[in-house]
This record gives sequence, structure tokens and C-alpha cells, in this order.
Amino acid sequence: MPQSTLGELAHLRRLPSALPYVTRRAVWLTVYLLFVLAPVLALLMGDLPPARDFWTEFSAAIAYVGLAMMGLQFGLTARFRYVTEPWGEDVIYHFHRLLSLVALALVIAHPIILFILDPTRVRLLNFFVAPPVARWASLSTYALIALVVTSLWRVQLRIRYETWHFTHILLALVAIAAGVIHMIGWGFYLGDPGKRALWIGLLIFWMGLLLYVRVFKPLFILRRPYVVTEVRKERGDSWTLVMQPQRHRGFRFTPGQFGWLTIWGGPFKITGHPFSFSSSAERADGHVEMTIRNLGDLTSTIHEVPVGRRVYIDGPYGAFTIGNPADMHVLIAGGVGITPMMSMIRTLADRGDKRPVILIYGSKDWESITFREELEALQGHLDLRVVHVLSDSPADWNGEKGFINAEIMMRHLPPPYRDHEYFICGPNRMMDAIEEALGEIHVPLSKYHSERYSFV
Amino acid sequence: MRRLFAERLVLATGVIVVLISAVFAYLRSAT
Repeated sequence: MPQSTLGELAHLRRLPSALPYVTRRAVWLTVYLLFVLAPVLALLMGDLPPARDFWTEFSAAIAYVGLAMMGLQFGLTARFRYVTEPWGEDVIYHFHRLLSLVALALVIAHPIILFILDPTRVRLLNFFVAPPVARWASLSTYALIALVVTSLWRVQLRIRYETWHFTHILLALVAIAAGVIHMIGWGFYLGDPGKRALWIGLLIFWMGLLLYVRVFKPLFILRRPYVVTEVRKERGDSWTLVMQPQRHRGFRFTPGQFGWLTIWGGPFKITGHPFSFSSSAERADGHVEMTIRNLGDLTSTIHEVPVGRRVYIDGPYGAFTIGNPADMHVLIAGGVGITPMMSMIRTLADRGDKRPVILIYGSKDWESITFREELEALQGHLDLRVVHVLSDSPADWNGEKGFINAEIMMRHLPPPYRDHEYFICGPNRMMDAIEEALGEIHVPLSKYHSERYSFV
Repeated sequence: MRRLFAERLVLATGVIVVLISAVFAYLRSAT
């Protein structure tokens, strides 16, 4: 959580840590490296097998490191709030995605180095004639390659998101289990019972992470259902789901955070969908709202959700929250990126916050501006100024046209720009352009917050 | 910028794990 003023702290029940983000990031990075490297360095302890040449040992070390990194991938996506909070979910998922490439490179480099040292080993790639210990290695590598290929080119391969998610978990399990079996079967380092027990323990720990996400956490969520009390049509082909906790008190969130929503099916369903909360965080009765634009797949079925439907929310998550001491909040939203901003504006209005808020809001046209009327009404309750930017503007439109850029921001923001707190949410292209524009007007990284809604 | 931040983090992690692997190999091959 960002540094908060005392007045704002009073509004928050959930205070995960008083430590600044930078310290918590350093701690988690150290923990991550320890979990990856300590099991490898532990192989140097106790009785050692005969020494080999540098490159053979190096190829073995990177294989162990690669496997440990693969196993910890389950931890990165386990949605541990205390881990993800200092980074933001989008950074964690991007980190997870890129780390799989590093792990793949390490795992593939392992046999390549061995083949260079002794080209006759290439025959081990032949699944039908290779000894079992090499088959496990091949299986692990092929599963990891398939996992990375289906993740990088899922859309091009026309794999449904739900199918991909299930396959993704299955391939990860095969890659990791086969890798550990190969290492134990090879028996060079893991011939030692203590070291073998350590790596089997690690495998159990990694599987435990998966079990936590897929079994224990859903069990907890199952006992805390929500019921849909209203399905409200909004401008811009969007719908607001109004939900109330059923037989529990719900949770408190900070404006800008999101939850994983399961509408059709129970919490054990493999694929949840992340949506920002759009309601005020000041509601004490656990009431939450999510505003969802029809972008295909699950989002096209929101209007069919019947009132009274039982749904499940895993949350709150996300570091995209207000709370820093700022002279002014600048909210920059594109399309459905307005939803977390709406939660911030409603919350600031409910708190009676006197600081100025400027919302620069990009939409296609005047009729598709989600929350248009409410934003107009809220300008009477809060020092709020809304700047609409229309990409498809009518001939008589006097406001801003096109897409949000540095010139538009400088026209509407009072200097010094670096003193304001910036929040950006919208399509990837818009986010890239705004982040570049903020760099041009010398706004430091610590003063702006962005969360991409297409991070999964 | 946030994506760039994640990318730098991955790069740093990759460099550290490769370096430690090299240290591991050096220690083992020297014994």
C-alpha cells in the first residue's frame, strides 16, 4: 500500500504492512532468489560425487535452477496478496511470463551444452531408443516448449482461453514432475538421500502451491458467496453487476482494486476473470459493484445474469490505489478503464475529500461515455473536472478530439506536473502513449500508477 | 514503464542465476 496520510488511514480497515513498497519488493526478490538458488547450492554440501569439467557442472547447475524457477511459477500466480501488492498484479504476471522464457532457455541449454561436449549424446533425444532417465528429461523439455508456445501464440493458434488455462497447468505439472524424476533417476547429485529428500520436498511444496490455489482457496471462497441484486445497463455497451455478500460480511477494498469473478460455475472452475470494482469503497455492508463492457467471451453474457444469481469473488487485489499524499489526483481513463476511476471518484466524494480531481476520459463518441450523467452530477459534490476526449466526435463537438496525448494533458493540467498523483487505466496502446507522455513532462515513475486490464 | 520494470527485473534475475550457476560449476570443477 502506498504511504498514506493519517486521515486516509482511518478509512482503511486493511493495513497489510507499514513497510514501504521498495523494502517489501527487495524482501520478496531476496526470498525468490533464495528459493531458486538455495536448493542448488545445497548440492555442494555433504558428500560430493566425483568432480567433472566446468561446462558439465554448469549445464547441471542451470538445469536445477531452471527447474526451481519453473516450480516457483506456481507461487507467482497463487495470488498471495502480500506478495503481489508491492508490485501490482500486471507486473507479477508479466514477470511470470518472461521468467518462463528464462527457465526454458536454461532447461534447453542444459542438453545443448552436453551435446556439444559429447555429440554422441544426441541419440538420447530419440524417445524410442533412449533410456528411461533420458526420456523423462525429453518429456519435461517438450512439455515446457509446448507450454511456452501455447502461451505466446494462444490467439494465433485459436485456443480458447479456458482450454489453454487447463492445458497450461497440465503441461506445467508434467514438465516439473518429469524434470524431478529425471534428476532423481540420473542420481548424480540426488543419489545422496538428504539431497534427494530436499528436492522431493521442493516438488511437494510446488504442488502444494497449486493445491492451495485450486483447492483450498476455492473452498474458502465457496463459503463466502455473493448474490447479484441488480444488473444495470450503462452507456458504452457495459453492464454493472451489483452484488451483496450472502451470510458473511464481505471484504473491504481500496478504490482501484479488482477481484476475480466467477459467474457461471463455482469457485473450483479453473478460469476466473479479473474485473475492477466500480463502487465506492466506503460502503460498510460489503456491497460491491463491477462494471463490465461487452468485449466478447464471458463479458458478452453479463446482461443474461439473473438477479438472485450466486456468484463468487476472489479479492481484493491490486496496487492501483489512491492513498498517497497528493495535491491533486489526475485520472486518465480510456474506455472501460473508467471503472477503477469511478470507484476512486465515488470514494473521494463519499469521504468529502476537498482536493481537486481531474479526469481525462477517452471514449469513442458522446453516446458511449459510460457513467456520463453520474460524472456530471458528481462535479457538484467534489472538486472534479472532467475532460472528455472523443475519437469519433461529431462536427459540432468543441471538446478534445482524437486520443489522449501529452498536448491534451498539458492543456488541462496546472503545472508543476510532477506534484500531482497520476492514475492510468485503458487499452495497452493508450497506456504506452500516456506513460511516454508523462515521461516527456518529467513526471517521475513514483508519481504515476497504471494497471493494464489485459494482463492475463 | 511497468512492463519495462518487469522486464528489467527478469533480466536481473536471469543474470544472477546464471552467475551463481557459474560459481557452482567453478567450485565443483575445481575440487
